[in-house]
Parts: sequence; structure tokens; C-alpha cells
Amino acid sequence: MSDTLVESSAVSAFLDLHKKLIEQVSPALTELQQVALNRFELLGFPHSKHEMYTYLNTKGLVETAFGLSDGSKKVSEDFVASHIYPDCESQCLVFVDGVLNRDLSRLEGVNTYLVPLSEAVSDQELKKYLSETAENENDVFAALNTAFCGEGLVFKVGDNTQISGPVQVLFVSTGGSPVMHVPRLVWQLGNLSEVKVIEKFVGVEGGYFINAVQDWLLAEGAGVSFTQVQADASDSWHFSKTRVHLHRNSRFHSTNASFGTQLARHHYDVRLKEEGSELRLNGVSVLDDKEQVHNFIRIHHEAPQCVSHQHFKNIINGQARSSFDGTVIVNQGAQLTNSNQLINNLMLSNDCHADNKPNLMIFADDVKCTHGATIGQIDEEQWFYLQTRGLSARVAKELLTRSFAKSIIETIEFPEVVKELNGTLLKKLEVRNV
Amino acid sequence: MLEIKDLHAGIEGNEIIKGISLTIKKGEIHAVMGPNGSGKSTMAKILSGHPSYEAMSGEILFDGKNLLEMDAEERSLAGIFMGFQYPVEVPGVNNAEFLRMAHNARRVKAGEEEIDPLDFDDLLSEKMKMLGMEKKYKERNLNDGFSGGEKKKNEILQMAILEPKLSILDETDSGLDIDALRVVSEGVNKLRNENNALVLITHYQRLLDYIKPDYVHVLSDGKIVKSGDKTLALELESQGYDWVTTAN
Repeated sequence: MSDTLVESSAVSAFLDLHKKLIEQVSPALTELQQVALNRFELLGFPHSKHEMYTYLNTKGLVETAFGLSDGSKKVSEDFVASHIYPDCESQCLVFVDGVLNRDLSRLEGVNTYLVPLSEAVSDQELKKYLSETAENENDVFAALNTAFCGEGLVFKVGDNTQISGPVQVLFVSTGGSPVMHVPRLVWQLGNLSEVKVIEKFVGVEGGYFINAVQDWLLAEGAGVSFTQVQADASDSWHFSKTRVHLHRNSRFHSTNASFGTQLARHHYDVRLKEEGSELRLNGVSVLDDKEQVHNFIRIHHEAPQCVSHQHFKNIINGQARSSFDGTVIVNQGAQLTNSNQLINNLMLSNDCHADNKPNLMIFADDVKCTHGATIGQIDEEQWFYLQTRGLSARVAKELLTRSFAKSIIETIEFPEVVKELNGTLLKKLEVRNV
Repeated sequence: MLEIKDLHAGIEGNEIIKGISLTIKKGEIHAVMGPNGSGKSTMAKILSGHPSYEAMSGEILFDGKNLLEMDAEERSLAGIFMGFQYPVEVPGVNNAEFLRMAHNARRVKAGEEEIDPLDFDDLLSEKMKMLGMEKKYKERNLNDGFSGGEKKKNEILQMAILEPKLSILDETDSGLDIDALRVVSEGVNKLRNENNALVLITHYQRLLDYIKPDYVHVLSDGKIVKSGDKTLALELESQGYDWVTTAN
């Protein structure tokens, strides 16, 4: 079968699936979902020549006939507990197969902030935002999420409210069969509000497709610390889109740590909409075998005096592949923008692969912007130096590999997450080293 | 302790060391001097086991064992320390943590238990005090952003932590101001005893005012052209290297 036929048959399979779903959806969301479905149909599944998917092989994904979860699969409490971080015991949202599971969640500390999306859209401003976003969606997978999310969740923090302690969101996929999960979250942060969020994606078994979308809407002076740990089953597909809207003097600090899957794609679309807003987007991925992580980033500086920092590091071994496609767009009038973007790749094998496409589009004349990418191997002189002090070649290489990732992992402000990543993310390479 | 017998060595097939023989016994200090390009640094690289440098003929025995068959790690664990002319910056590797790893590697080799971080911190503080190093160098990354002087002090700190039998200090004095040179030299002198030995590779006589060598060897075009006691260094200082190199 030709690629085009596969893609069109996959699209029609999803359209058929949607007919069954739409009857169960809350009437408040049907219009939005129909818009998203139309958008999905118009965009179609990507082929490898599509600019947005140049570095991705979506063939396996498109060829798989995904169903939707019927919510019948259970996850043990022990499994969930093993993935909840200390300090998050009373503030943890657990999504099982894309849907919030209240029994497994620990909502004591956060219940007052949760609103089902179908209720939240009575807020006309939010409804307008969602409709416009769906109409203009350029990412077919995000359109698919909105078309299929059934219900979503809004986490709404009022003005001047600072939530103490981190809020964890745990996305558990039960897996074992080709099922698509479409968790949808909207974070609405009022003026001067603050929240710290740790998200973790895990799978009980593999084979699933998690397609998550989140919107972060930060009002004036709001602050977010966002840590994401992508630790899905390695034979799953992980797609996520994170949209961020930053208003005056708001701050969004994010660090993503990825273990990789057969195909993991993180799409960030950030708009610095008003003066003084600040973005920090960091990421580290450690990949082995045939794993892949792709970061697709669009940062729009729409107002003067805004700051955006991006730093991504990838450690790539085996036949793994890392790719990065990031563009910073500085609009006319966004004077005194300060933006930088850096991607560092550490290649540990001869068969691994790294693609980088850093890009800058500047339409203002008084800005400070930098971007760059490096691809390298273990530094021979550093490696030798450590060995002359009695460290074995293996230990010295491990130390250098860890030190490479350290500067990103250290930006995570939760010691438990840092400890976990040091113990698991970097450990996965030790077996193969030297 | 160390016996170099008719060593010929170089890099990428170019012979730089052209037949050096040298015997170093425990308790001795040897200074190897020579003009730029005479092969001083090549000699240091060969002794440390740098993978880019090769011995073409001859042999090096350390405590009776064939040094050329040992890799850099084995040489270090056997008790050889190389003080680098240009210590390598390793961002992301904490200095104190690295020093503890190196110290423990040596202990494990000796069949001793690893030292825990708190006990090591006491040891480290004591050695740093001896070298007049500020505490902040524990927290910083290995040589990362250190000044030239601090890098050299950090080399001597590593030497103090590893307590080697044989230390080879390659141009440890270059780039140091007189105060730093004094501190580094005092540190080296404190680490001396009758059981260890020291090779100082240097271009300048200045270092030898502070660390008194038992023997001075002058290297020129890959060969030792003159050996003598410390007065030889003073003669070199007053007459220049031409005095020995043209005399040959």
C-alpha cells in the first residue's frame, strides 16, 4: 500500500471512531470537538516530507489501527504509589489511560482548583481561546487530541493564590494493546498566582499511543515551575503539545527529562504576549537502542522586554536518534528581547543520530538573540585526565556522561526528582558504557 | 623505582625522544630541564600513558614492572602521579567528589575500605589548608574556570590526596606568580619523604630555588646532553641553554 493510502485510511479510521465517541461527549464540548475534527481532517496525517515532521518516521504510528480506551483497565494502587514523589502525597492527580481517576488521585490539597472542561467553558473567554486555538491548530496530533479528549480538566488558580508544595500529575498508560490516550489539561493561573508542577508519564505495558495536550495560561505576575519526566514504556508512542501564554511579568520555567520511546515528540508553542514575561525551557534526554526524541519548539516574542532561554542536551547511544527543530520569532515591536537557544548532543556510539535545526526570525531591531548547536563525543583529553587519576576507563566515561547531563538536571528544583533521574535516567547507559 | 632504558618515543611516527636512559631511586628529586621543543613534554606524556604518544623502542620499568604495558589507570594505581602542564577543565564534575573517587580508587586497589564523604572532607580540608586553597574550590567543578595558578594548586592537591610513590610535575611552575610558586613548592616539599621520588620538568631554574633537586638533567633534541647536581641549573641560568646544546 502506498504511504498516501495508508495515511488516508488512518484518517478515515479515526473519523469512524469519532462518530462513536461524539454521542457520549458533553454537549458543551461537541462544537469544539467538531471544529478540531475538521481541522484534523484538513491537516491529515503527516508524511516524512512534511516540514513539521522531517525528522520523524510516523509510518509505524499511522499504520497502527488505534482504538480508544473503554476505561475498563485497572492499575494497582502499588504501581501508582511507586510513581508518586514524596511531598506530593496530598496533591497528586492520577490519569489512567488519559482520564482522571479520582480514586487513585490524592486530591485533598488541590480539589478546589479542579473544574471539568465541559463546565469551565461557560467562561466565554476560555471558550473563545479554545475555539480559536482549535480553528488555527497546525499540529495534526494536537487537533486529534481535542477531537477525542471527551472530557478535559481545568486547573484554575485564583488571583494571589500560591499553592504550597508541588502538585504532581501522573499519567499512567495501561498499554498492552494499541490504544490512543488523549489527556487534556488547561492550567489557568490568575494574577500573581504560583504553582509548581511535576508531571510524570509511565506505562504498565507498552504499545500505546499517548497524545497529550496542555495549555498554560498565565495572567499578570503568575509563576510556574514545571518539571516533566517522560518515562513511558519504550515501545510506546508519546506525543505532547504544551502551549504557553505569558502575560505581563509572568514566568514559566520548565525542565523536561526524557527517557525516549520508539517515538517521542514534544511540541512547545510559547507566546510571550506582554512585557516582562520570562520563559525558561530546558530539556535532557538519554536515549539508547532505537529510541527517539524530537523537540519541536516555537517561541513567539510578541512584546518588548521579554526573556526566553532554551537549553537542551541529549545523550545518544546505540542506534538512537535525537532531533530538534526550534524557532524563535521576534515580532516587530518586541524590542529589547533577550533570547538564547542552545542544543548540545553527546554521541556515544557510531550508529546514533542527531539532527538540529535552530532558527531565529527577528523582525525587531534592538534585541539580543543567540542560538547554537553542538554535536560531540566524549572529550578524549578529559577522559584521559580522569584515568591518570586512577579512574577506570568505564568509570571515567560514566562520570563525563553524567556531568554532561548534570547542568540540566540540576535546574530541577525537586531533590526527589533529581535523585530519581540520577538513579534511573543516567543508569540506563551504564550497562553499555565502554 | 623508575628505570628508563634507551627510550625512543614520539607522536604519529615522529621520533621526538631519541634515546634517553635515566634511573630514579626512592627519596630522590630529579629535575629535567631543556629548551622548548627538546622533548620534555613528550617524556611526561609517555610516562603518563597518553594514548597519542608511542614508545618506539627501549623500555621503562617501574618497581620492576613494564610501565609501557600499563594503561593510564594502572599507572596511577601503581603509584605514579602526573602533574599536567595544562590541567584539563572538566565542567560538571565536582572537584571534591572527583578527588574522593580518585582517593577511593587508590584505597580499593590497596585492599582498604572506601572512605566516606565526611571523613574525606576532613582530609581534603587539611590538604587544602596546606596549599592555601580557599574552601570554594571544593564546590567548584574540576578545574572549570580556575585561574592558571589555581589549576596548578589543584594538581598538587590531587598529588597530596593520592600520595604517589613517583610524581612527575610537568612545567608546574609555568604561569605561576611568585607567591603561588612559593605556596605550590612548599606543598610539594611537605609531601616529600624518603620513600617517594619526584621528577620536575621545567624550563626555568626559578622553581629549583624552592624545590632543591638532587640531580639536574639537560634535555636537548630528545637526548640528555648533560647531567649534574643542582649547580648545573645555576650554570644554565647564567649561561643559557646554548652553553650545553652547542657544547655537544
